[in-house]
Amino acid sequence: MAFQSPMPSREFLWDVFQRVDRDRSGFISADELQQALSNGTWSPFNPETVRLMIGWLTKSFSGMFDRHNKGQISFEDFGALWKYVTDWQNCFRSFDRDNSGNIDKEELKTALTSFGYRLSDSLVSTMVKKFDRHGNGTILFDDFIQACIVLYTLTSAFRQYDTDQDGYITIHYEQFLSMVFGLKI
Amino acid sequence: MINLKLRLWRSTRQERTMALPNQEFLWGIFRSVDRDGSGFINTSELQQALSNGTWSPFNPETVRLMIGMFDRQNRGQIGFDDFGALWKYVTDWQNCFKSFDRDNSGNIDKSELQTALTTFGYNLSDNLMNTLVRKFDRVGNGTILFDDFIQACIVLHTLTSAFRQYDTDQDGVITIHYEQFLGMVLSLKM
Repeated sequence: MAFQSPMPSREFLWDVFQRVDRDRSGFISADELQQALSNGTWSPFNPETVRLMIGWLTKSFSGMFDRHNKGQISFEDFGALWKYVTDWQNCFRSFDRDNSGNIDKEELKTALTSFGYRLSDSLVSTMVKKFDRHGNGTILFDDFIQACIVLYTLTSAFRQYDTDQDGYITIHYEQFLSMVFGLKI
Repeated sequence: MINLKLRLWRSTRQERTMALPNQEFLWGIFRSVDRDGSGFINTSELQQALSNGTWSPFNPETVRLMIGMFDRQNRGQIGFDDFGALWKYVTDWQNCFKSFDRDNSGNIDKSELQTALTTFGYNLSDNLMNTLVRKFDRVGNGTILFDDFIQACIVLHTLTSAFRQYDTDQDGVITIHYEQFLGMVLSLKM
């Protein structure tokens, strides 16, 4: 991926970690993470995105994050979290062509196409409507991450049933319920 | 088969549905809930006003779902004009919950939940009942509190309605395209 950044030094990370860990508990909670992150405006960082990020990291590193399942991050896991956020920032900036700090429908479509999604215009519009928290037809950094994680999660769930990969699934009512209940979105 | 009779059930069992009280009564409650006197009840005011019968805060997801249902102007909060309907809704749910909480424990276990959902017209497997309890049991002791019960019922209703829109022949099986699936799940208010 073009958005990968190298891992910074341990001292650098320790410095950032200490500033984020406001109550000096040695762990970063979801609240502390939310306060530390910025979406480029004065509005609070989307709490849904924070929740998804912690859940996502927990899953992709198979228990490496949040080992004790307390919903918080220790310093040993912090490097990966830092890199994850930084990679998302670079990714977001590269699609925000006009440097406006937000992504419009066309920019979102370009981003999703480059990730390998092929979505109709009408679905991209649905996504903008769904994830545009400020109601001005554009998507901020935090909402962009949420949109991408949700889309990825839904696509993975769909693919599990689409074994012949024809883009159609046939599911029973109970399968449908379990599928949606199982989504961490 | 997946017969959603919730509304029907609530309207045919008159003893469970409350008549709307008079405006002064409602206004008194509205003012005590509207702590900052803004003339609107926001999510955190509603959350503080509601009780799940324990000392733990009322499930914020349930509060969000309820505001979404009664906020007709899409303001993210409830004015006095919508408050009567909200009050009735909560009161009806309280009576409904109490009637299924046979042992008066203040929570509903798996078999009580199964009875409730069967009464509403759902016919769900044991497996799915376990999934439901796991999903909505916020306290982690295998039972469901009042606030989580409302959330479970609203989510189940929402999903069932979404499914039925595609299940035109009502055989309990649907075939959907990837984009239909995405559009369907993204538009769910849950």
